[in-house]
Amino acid sequence: MNPRKALTIGMKTNSQNGSQNTAVIEVTDLKVHYGDKSALNGVSFDVYQNEILGIIGPAQSGKTTLLKVINRTLEFTPDTTVAGSVKLDGEDISTIGDVYGLRRRIGMVQPLPVGLPLSIYDNVAFAPRTAGIRSKSELDEIVERCLQQAALWEEVKDRLSTLGTKLSGGQQQRLTIARALSHQPDILCLDEFSIAVDPITTMRIEDVLKTLQTEMTILLVTNLVQQAKRLANRTAFFLNGDLIEIDTTDIIFSDNPAEQATYDYVNGTFG
Amino acid sequence: MNALMTRPELRKKIALQGIAFIIVGAALIFIWNDLKKSGATHIQTSSASRVSGILPSLLSDLNLILPISLLAVLFGVACAFYLEEWLSATSWVRRFIESQVTFLTEIPSLLYGLLAISVLFSYAGVFKEIGTPSPVQDVNESGLAVVPFQRNTTMFYAEALIFILMVIPVAIKTTQEALRSVTTPIRESAYVLGANQWQVIAKQVVPLAFPSILAGGCRAMSRALAAAALLIGIHIPDHTTGPRGIPDRFMLFLGGALLLSTISSFLKKSRLETSPTATARHD
Repeated sequence: MNPRKALTIGMKTNSQNGSQNTAVIEVTDLKVHYGDKSALNGVSFDVYQNEILGIIGPAQSGKTTLLKVINRTLEFTPDTTVAGSVKLDGEDISTIGDVYGLRRRIGMVQPLPVGLPLSIYDNVAFAPRTAGIRSKSELDEIVERCLQQAALWEEVKDRLSTLGTKLSGGQQQRLTIARALSHQPDILCLDEFSIAVDPITTMRIEDVLKTLQTEMTILLVTNLVQQAKRLANRTAFFLNGDLIEIDTTDIIFSDNPAEQATYDYVNGTFG
Repeated sequence: MNALMTRPELRKKIALQGIAFIIVGAALIFIWNDLKKSGATHIQTSSASRVSGILPSLLSDLNLILPISLLAVLFGVACAFYLEEWLSATSWVRRFIESQVTFLTEIPSLLYGLLAISVLFSYAGVFKEIGTPSPVQDVNESGLAVVPFQRNTTMFYAEALIFILMVIPVAIKTTQEALRSVTTPIRESAYVLGANQWQVIAKQVVPLAFPSILAGGCRAMSRALAAAALLIGIHIPDHTTGPRGIPDRFMLFLGGALLLSTISSFLKKSRLETSPTATARHD
């Protein structure tokens, strides 16, 4: 693909939307290896302020790895090497000293929900507390707002003191979304958030994501191609660690994207 | 060859286990020689046929076991935390300690008991004690002699040493297993919220692993108690025997071991119930 072209189209879309076209995340020639195995082979693209960037692609294409590089949780996986640079607001993330501060700027929703062994309230209040918020009323407000945004408030408002791990899979998934929103991140990364959530609740969360777009930049990794089509301003298609194409969602899902592989994947004729 | 290990890994493992084997083997030969010299293999008599009831025995045993085992378990747990949370998996210090710990936990506890006899009889002057029974200072209403509450300090340290040697490796191993059960994806869920290592350990790892750690501590102590009970059961001379000729400490230790194993199994069960992986995943 031609990165130049993608960049200009992306900028055009953003200016049409009336938002700034400043790049929040700049990924340059990012290469990641797990031992001898390559997970990302030289990926370059930008993510713009207040856009929803859909990231699609089959398994083993490097989508989750990309998110893990951005919030530096890849460091917990032994034997990985990262080359190239990822800049957040112009600052190279690998040189950021306060890695916890960096992670607080990025909300992350993982594909498998993991409740902290705390109450529902404490699960959501965990991040604000680590960031130093102590006032009870302030925490109450954050917890209610986040649970409502994650479409969970109505179900749990009467039992906030029960263990988060006692919730069902779908509820735990929404709890992780509430947690990711609780520290008011600049960037929200969603890694297949709808995997355990029913279609109606998924729709409710998708509506919330559209409203959140005005406050933050959203990276949406999804296996549901239609979800990217519904939500994303731009969509990136990854395949085997390569960025095949990044363009506005309209073009990716049109009949003539730049690459044949993209067309085959989004239309389900691939592999 | 173990299919789960690559050849260099296997070679390293064999080398490390070999070192452990040589150390323990040498210790065993040493113990055997000692036993032959001291004649401990033929001892049948008890040092204190004076009847005294369970209380002095109970107090003196608790006095030894409680502080020592608590310290040993705490030390083992601290060790395991350091190995598991702060040392990298590839560090040679960690690999060395882990292989030695594995070896020590695999040794039957009776062998530790034999080591205990060897040390106690050869160096702690227990024979001297047998030769000169401590004076009876008092007789209670029922006409039974009361053995004064006293202990040979050298022997105290020797017993404590063996006890520690038995408890610590088991405590390290079970704690490490408990910490490993809190896998990286579970930890990451707290790390992505901006928590630092201390916060993750305090708020997530310890609450999840605590029942297993406690169960491990109980198991470690139960192992040591069972070994001690076995030794007393085969008539190793000791301060006190019960009124009916059954050594009180034997019953006491065996009972303690059983109780601790029961607690340990209960704790293991409750660990499964609170585990995040065991909760329902369906809506």
